[in-house]
Amino acid sequence: MGAPGQEKLWDKEEKEHKKYDDIRIFTDEQLKNYTDDELKNFKVKHDISMIEQLESGPWPSFVSDIKREALHRHKLGQDNLMIPADICDDLLGIVELSYKEGETHWKHGGIVGVLGYGGGIVGRYNDQQAQFPNIAHFHTIRVNQPSAKFYTTDWLRGFCDIAEYRGSGLTNLHGSTGDLVILGSFSDQLEPIFFDLTHDLGVDIGGSGGNLRTPSDCIGKARCEFACYDTMDLCYEMTMEFQDELHRPAFPYKFKFKFDGCPNGCTASIARSDMAYIGTWKDDIRINQDAVQEYVAGKIPVDGGAFAGRDWGKFDIQSEIIDLCPTKCMKWDGKKLSINNAECNRCMHCIDAMPEALRVGKDQGLSILFGAKAPILEGAQMGCLTIPFMYVNKPYDSQKNLVRKVFDWWIEEGKNRERIGETIQRVSLKTFCEVLGIPPMPQMVKEPRSNPYVFFKESEVPGGWDRDINAYRTRHPR
Amino acid sequence: MGRDEDIRQAIIDYASKGAKSKFYFKDMLTGVKKTIPDAGASEVKKVASAMVSEEVMELLSTGSSTMYGLKGRGISVEKSGDAGG
Ligand code: HEM
Ligand code: HEM
Ligand code: SF4
Ligand code: SF4
Repeated sequence: MGAPGQEKLWDKEEKEHKKYDDIRIFTDEQLKNYTDDELKNFKVKHDISMIEQLESGPWPSFVSDIKREALHRHKLGQDNLMIPADICDDLLGIVELSYKEGETHWKHGGIVGVLGYGGGIVGRYNDQQAQFPNIAHFHTIRVNQPSAKFYTTDWLRGFCDIAEYRGSGLTNLHGSTGDLVILGSFSDQLEPIFFDLTHDLGVDIGGSGGNLRTPSDCIGKARCEFACYDTMDLCYEMTMEFQDELHRPAFPYKFKFKFDGCPNGCTASIARSDMAYIGTWKDDIRINQDAVQEYVAGKIPVDGGAFAGRDWGKFDIQSEIIDLCPTKCMKWDGKKLSINNAECNRCMHCIDAMPEALRVGKDQGLSILFGAKAPILEGAQMGCLTIPFMYVNKPYDSQKNLVRKVFDWWIEEGKNRERIGETIQRVSLKTFCEVLGIPPMPQMVKEPRSNPYVFFKESEVPGGWDRDINAYRTRHPR
Repeated sequence: MGRDEDIRQAIIDYASKGAKSKFYFKDMLTGVKKTIPDAGASEVKKVASAMVSEEVMELLSTGSSTMYGLKGRGISVEKSGDAGG
């Protein structure tokens, strides 16, 4: 198995990979241990009549899901669980109470972690411990997802068993940063969870707090023809390279990398990461004119056939492609499609719509944008294009060296709880470019006036300039 | 004393004498630099991480940011008004 030339690697990983049967905690009978009738008649320990109303709506309800889990745990019995069997009952109970009072009973933060790690576990405690002892702790454990979130079912089943046995059984796949999240554990189970995850599942804990957060990436070359670099490999390599930054917090605030293989941005790196890597190309969009004709003739369904089943009408290349090109750089003369590539801003629309006719260019690499974030101090912000193009070659020295420069600078310059985008805004993009050692470039300007002015220094202008302030004053008195 | 021990001592001085029992890494770095002006972020981090592993220091996190403190000094479970993330 495996790609040609990689059979050996694959075989080795197969051998090292533990089978579910080797690590499973529960039997099949235990995993399917209640009937629909039992569920219908099941009542949790507390009165939850208010939140039960949420089940009457048209959507699947978290209340129903958690009730199932509560019943499942009751039937597993406390002897088979390290965390209170009634944890889900108390969870629903506290939600009911919060609905009544309009107030939360979760405290924010605390000291928990596993030895040697400064992140990845978010301590949550409840302030109603007398009434709801089973959720006195409800810690969140972030688990570093594999690149592009590829799993085997064996692996997922092993993960679920651990979450059931040493957590509340509730999980979050995936958290917004990308991690797999185990919800609702107690402090004494954290080291055992860490042991099980690392020994049985071969995964590590993710990031939280003032450190590098778990990097994440799009599916990239594994399945997508648009990928301009191997997102999965770069994500993995960067995760391994910056382990210390992931596990030992020393940053002013959180820092996220995300890797998108092309400007479609399936990982939304441009909006969700302090440092976004987006695949791009330098040369021209590849055009297969014959395939364009087939699209026009309706022989190949446009957008992969997504517009079917309703009267969308016949495909009209003029109104659906040419007129929608945001930079108006495309032309169709009835026979030939042409693109003024210098004006193309890689919006991906034409390529997405007609993938058999158009392809990303061959001279591929990535762009790097800095500074996206959710509103914390300043408002929400998208990433700002800082490095228009960089080649991507294993072992990724240029990417790694750049990151080191960024971290060294930000640790010194960033203020507490300031995201790097805010630091850059404070000191100016120009200063940041100087730190990175890159000249200002037209590509960095999103539109006139939305970027700060760049003042050139004399040394940066060929020939410099010669200005005599006294001569100037003779013409322009104070 | 070796460099690491100097830094360790500077951290302990900062952590035990300051008004705050919990502080950001950056504040600790500034504190260390008062006695060791050329102390770099990475070496201070290395020593601080070792002290966390030895349970001399501990980390308090809201999920969004992280604070250091001497183990046993100040409260250990804090209800902060801090917005997480
Ligand atoms: C009871 C109903 C709950 C619902 C419906 C719910 C729903 C959600 C949703 C929709 C997300 C965002 C998922 C995403 O990132 O796309 C989320 C994230 C999260 N939830 Fe919950 N949640 C519930 C209870 C809890 C409880 C009780 C806790 C802990 C005390 C918790 C801890 C978290 C954490 C830590 C995350 C963020 C994970 C991350 O992004 O890394 N949740 N939850
Ligand atoms: C007034 C109450 C609260 C406010 C204003 C608040 C605000 C926030 C904000 C702004 C974020 C960051 C979102 C982002 O960056 O995308 C966040 C994240 C989070 N909050 Fe809260 N929060 C509150 C209460 C709580 C409570 C009661 C809990 C748990 C018991 C909680 C748990 C979390 C967690 C686990 C995260 C995610 C942390 C991470 O992703 O690193 N928050 N909160
Ligand atoms: S971001 Fe681009 S390369 Fe990555 S999966 Fe999406 S379309 Fe494919
Ligand atoms: S990718 Fe977007 S900008 Fe470029 S030619 Fe196609 S539609 Fe126009």
